[in-house]
Amino acid sequence: MNRLFQTSVKLLPILLFVSGAAISTRAQVAKLQLDQLDALASRASETVDVKLDEHLLQTTARFFSSKDPDDAEIRELIKNIKGIYVKSFTFEKENEYSSGDIESVASQLRAEGWSKIVGVTSKKDGQNIDVYLLTVGDHVDGLAVISLEPKELTVVNIVGPIDLEKLTELEGSFGVPTFTLSTPKAKADKTIK
Amino acid sequence: MRVWATIALVFLTTLAPPASVASVAADDDFSAVVKLIERFYHVKHQSLPLLARAGIKAVRTAARIRGGEYRRIAEVGSARIAFFEDELFDSRGQMVTFKGSVQTTLASRWSGLVQTLAPKDEEQTYIYIRDAREKFKVLVITIGKHDATVVEATVTPEVLADLIKNPEGMGKAITDEVATSDP
Repeated sequence: MNRLFQTSVKLLPILLFVSGAAISTRAQVAKLQLDQLDALASRASETVDVKLDEHLLQTTARFFSSKDPDDAEIRELIKNIKGIYVKSFTFEKENEYSSGDIESVASQLRAEGWSKIVGVTSKKDGQNIDVYLLTVGDHVDGLAVISLEPKELTVVNIVGPIDLEKLTELEGSFGVPTFTLSTPKAKADKTIK
Repeated sequence: MRVWATIALVFLTTLAPPASVASVAADDDFSAVVKLIERFYHVKHQSLPLLARAGIKAVRTAARIRGGEYRRIAEVGSARIAFFEDELFDSRGQMVTFKGSVQTTLASRWSGLVQTLAPKDEEQTYIYIRDAREKFKVLVITIGKHDATVVEATVTPEVLADLIKNPEGMGKAITDEVATSDP
């Protein structure tokens, strides 16, 4: 028993290191590499790139007023978020980008842990919205939204514990566009895959 | 032995930068960006236009009429601004290259927060941020077809919390305030 205890004590730093590395790896996996999309900037008529990292979010989170209901909600929402990254490209004409252009992002979302939870297709508007969640065990570690429209491409990546409900609360703030995923009416108008 | 120790000390002193070097370098990033714009677009920056200085009165009066109070964004005395007026900002299709140059100039000490490019309209906005003890330094570069502004200001985390809710409007809010503040 004593020997077992001694061995455990010896192994503790290694275990701590491994678990720390695992957490760090999870955060890295949740943060998608979006830089390859930058190649689209030369073709786009408008490009928006927003990066809010953990340090900035957490430093400012405590300054959201707890008295203002909206601010209190945001504060609660971003409390554990490690990053919000948005890239959006608007094109003058239709079909100025192809599915190949987003393959670098799509391939990351095919990795273990990521799963598509919502797919909305609007034939009328030609809009496709896919929402992906990264889950590890019963924890949600990240979320990604790919919105494809004939003249617009938007990718949103939120790192940290977030779900679809929280995403809809973030819409319109922190550079996250409005996807109208929350309203049941909007969903009913569209075909869910 | 003593000689070697002296040589080592001199060597280390020469190699080790003083503590303030990093902050001086970061402060120089403002000038580096202004020079980058001048080089890339073949333009020259100017001092604060008189018209802009007069603007503060209008902003404060408007706030008073609305019954509100003029809330300062940038910390007093922290702002630096460079204007480019009545120039032609033609990136000749190389806006993405310019974006890369801005990134190269600032990447080591600043984090990019927002970048917007509209090549057809020759419009660009870049917002970079970095820690300044308990506060934050914000660098805003706004380039249009005929005008450009580079602003560096220190903001408190409270103000930053308010601004990051709308990151795309943040650059305009800071630039407008600094451009219309008392010099």
